[in-house]
Amino acid sequence: MLNLHRLRDQLDTFESHEADTRERRARQQERAETVLAACDRRWEAVQAAVEEAEPRRLVAALREPPAETHGAPERPSPITVVATDGSQIYPDRHVEPLFFLLNVSRVAVQYGTQEAPLLDAEPRLHFEDALSDHVDEVLRSLTTELVSALRDEMELELLLRTAREAQVEGRPLLALADGTLIRWMIRGMNNEAAEDALIARYTDYLQAFRAEAYPLGSYVSMPATTEVVNLLRFVAGELETPGPALDIEGPAAPVLDGLLDRHVFDTLLDDGERSATFGSTSHIQDAYPSGTEICYFYLRVPSAVGEGEIGRVEVPRWVADDPALLDRIHATVLRECEKGDGYPLVLSEAHERAVIRGPEREGFFRLMERRLRRAGLSSSNSRKRRSKQRPRV
Amino acid sequence: MDESEALGEVIESSTRQFVAEVYEDASAPAFGTWVQVPDAEGADVYGLISHVETGSYDSNRQAVALGLSADERAEEMPMVQELIRTTVRVQLLACRDREGRLRQTLPPHPPDLHDFVYPCPDEAIQDLGTPADVLRTLVNHPDPAVPADDLLVAALRSVYDAHGGEAGGREALVSAGRALSRLLDDDHERLQSILRRVL
Repeated sequence: MLNLHRLRDQLDTFESHEADTRERRARQQERAETVLAACDRRWEAVQAAVEEAEPRRLVAALREPPAETHGAPERPSPITVVATDGSQIYPDRHVEPLFFLLNVSRVAVQYGTQEAPLLDAEPRLHFEDALSDHVDEVLRSLTTELVSALRDEMELELLLRTAREAQVEGRPLLALADGTLIRWMIRGMNNEAAEDALIARYTDYLQAFRAEAYPLGSYVSMPATTEVVNLLRFVAGELETPGPALDIEGPAAPVLDGLLDRHVFDTLLDDGERSATFGSTSHIQDAYPSGTEICYFYLRVPSAVGEGEIGRVEVPRWVADDPALLDRIHATVLRECEKGDGYPLVLSEAHERAVIRGPEREGFFRLMERRLRRAGLSSSNSRKRRSKQRPRV
Repeated sequence: MDESEALGEVIESSTRQFVAEVYEDASAPAFGTWVQVPDAEGADVYGLISHVETGSYDSNRQAVALGLSADERAEEMPMVQELIRTTVRVQLLACRDREGRLRQTLPPHPPDLHDFVYPCPDEAIQDLGTPADVLRTLVNHPDPAVPADDLLVAALRSVYDAHGGEAGGREALVSAGRALSRLLDDDHERLQSILRRVL
């Protein structure tokens, strides 16, 4: 039972903390604006200085003046938009046999036509993964990280297949993924060979998108990234590595530590505008084949209700290098967000199709148990799990 | 029966009533229409559509106003159409056994889930018109969620139509009206109000 009365004092403290944070952030944003302006004037020199200094933190790579903004172009119509999203039933160590389930949706919409959309989901049961021995080694412990990595991979695999199937001769296409395309989370499994195998397979799909010329982008809602802020901190001399000598107008305080990229672009972008495109310098990018390294821009997404937000759109470099493709992605994502009230409609549809709801989950477990029992392979359900299923009085 | 003529499929079933989902490419049947559900052994159940409902497939997702024309909706939000479904509730009134005997009473077994639902051909409705025992069920045990008289109006109308409408339907209607009059204990006002709305 939650006693709301006893929370009152803590809420008071929280309230004043939040007020302080906002006030501090507003001053940081002001300062970030002046540093960004200085950076913008000498962006090539700044980029050269970054490459020279190699700061330890993740710093955005500059490809154009960083304070640049671009208005929203008109979305082409008709256009094919494909999207996927995934969900999973994680392995449960209280259940024998050990397995996990991935469910990835496939959505293809032919906007501007009255052709029927594709709305589908594909489940895959994994019980003994056909990966290399290295990955099997990890699989025996079946971490949630591994399952998530395999889900992300399946999302990209099905996105590619959906693009192939939905493509219409002479009609522009966009493949939209959910979340980041930068696989930094794969590092950290304590199994380098398995990590390498996973990254290689993921980048193979990225390569295929490029080889077959399907423009790919991904949308990150409420991004917590700080690459542009780190660049500004580098320029302002806040990092261990000294930055370039630039004339920065205004006071040298406050420091920009704690600010997020989206706070910087919150003051810079008008509704519907996108920022300059930056390059990712994540170490994992070294494993991405040339041309498929990830670039990104920020986008101010308006909302009919409330304030809207700054979203992040990631694209492979070959897409970022083509202004027409960037425009297509910008316009399409924006239109999707308008229709989806702040979040791309096609991605929320993909989410709805991918999600495994409680009753479906239960149904799946019942079916599996029945099948195993009928085959004389009764699954052993540990006592602990059973007791969790049926709370006793 | 020709499966391509099925209008939908049973998704909830009991001996009193069933719910069917209407196929997307079938036109939704009208309130008060007679339908039949054949089983694999050649028996049939017959019922009247007592409720038609259109809504979202997904109970987690409610329909909301979009402010788009039908064309704009089809072009820019085609996923919306995919979420809409029509269901009908059917009050069971009669059954035919494997030997072909028609009984104007509830069936011994409910139709199976996923059985196909067909519109009733005129001949079947003509058979159900006399002795009009189905009217007794409709008057004495109506679906509580449905205005009983409106369903009676629709039922009489389909009897009239099945007998040829203007060309021959009147006689069947008059005989059904007489039966109804007795069932309503000579409540002339109610009878008048029902008959007025049939034609």
